[in-house]
Amino acid sequence: MPDMVSNLSGGGHLPSRVRDHFRTAEQQRESEMLGMWIFLATEVMFFGALFVAFTVYRTGYPQAFGAGSADMNIVLGSINTAILITSSLTMALAVHASEVGNQRWLQVLLVLTMLLGCVFLAIKGVEYYQHYLDHKMPAVWFEYSGADGSKVQMFFVFYFFMTGLHALHMLVGIGVLLVILGRSLAGSFSAEYHTPVAVAALYWSFVDIIWVFLFAIFYLQGLHVMR
Amino acid sequence: MAEPIVRKRTYWIVYVVLLALTLLTVLLGYLHMGEFNMVVAIAIATIQASLIAGFFMHALYEAPLVRVVTVGGVIWFLIMMTLTLTDYHTRGWLPFPGK
Repeated sequence: MPDMVSNLSGGGHLPSRVRDHFRTAEQQRESEMLGMWIFLATEVMFFGALFVAFTVYRTGYPQAFGAGSADMNIVLGSINTAILITSSLTMALAVHASEVGNQRWLQVLLVLTMLLGCVFLAIKGVEYYQHYLDHKMPAVWFEYSGADGSKVQMFFVFYFFMTGLHALHMLVGIGVLLVILGRSLAGSFSAEYHTPVAVAALYWSFVDIIWVFLFAIFYLQGLHVMR
Repeated sequence: MAEPIVRKRTYWIVYVVLLALTLLTVLLGYLHMGEFNMVVAIAIATIQASLIAGFFMHALYEAPLVRVVTVGGVIWFLIMMTLTLTDYHTRGWLPFPGK
């Protein structure tokens, strides 16, 4: 993602943050934000292909995918959803702090956001380990007693691939926030110049949006099957 | 740029609504609604995604061009979804060999 890296490291030096090819700081800000939005639109296609493939199989084998979903840990899944939504709030509040030029609060909220991201990944790891113990890990150790074993396994292929890809995005997001934190500590941001914080926040919240849909398609479908 | 784009209070209200919707979607998941379980879950997830994009990501406050890109991304995704499903679910309709 080259455009994101250049957005994060761009901006020039004091006193003027406006690059030569922009007329005003506002025009530069809009261009940088637009760049991130366009990158996120390509991410919609990236994850979108997987959502389409999932939907094709889900509509083809609704029973088997319901049975696979019944093995999800709804408690951990719900907690993780709440954690990610909270991290999106702390990220949005971090942008707010950067807009009013409060560097201390910006740094505190960035650290809080990253911590929530780490807790999310830790819980995800616990879930993965539980699936491993349940012998629900395709290609590694998969056993299913009922019929439709290969179809249930397909559910878990989608589950591990899509949540794994999402976890990878979380790791990238945490790395991006580390860079932002470092730049804030170095005194790069002010009430006048803070676009990189907003650009990073776009990425973080987008990864949250992806999770909301993953939660819907993987965790919620098996709830009524369990009873 | 002294004025923040969105007020703190707005963020907190959106946050509470998002958590309430999460609770709602989990509770509705326990009902037996057949295929509507998926419809309801996706509908609530779409509302949540719109709130996050609109307020947390400032999509409602940005320049029109940003909104074009946002809506454009969703529309292209829906085209991909619709055409693919149309293909897969109509393949058995006609008795052509090797379909």
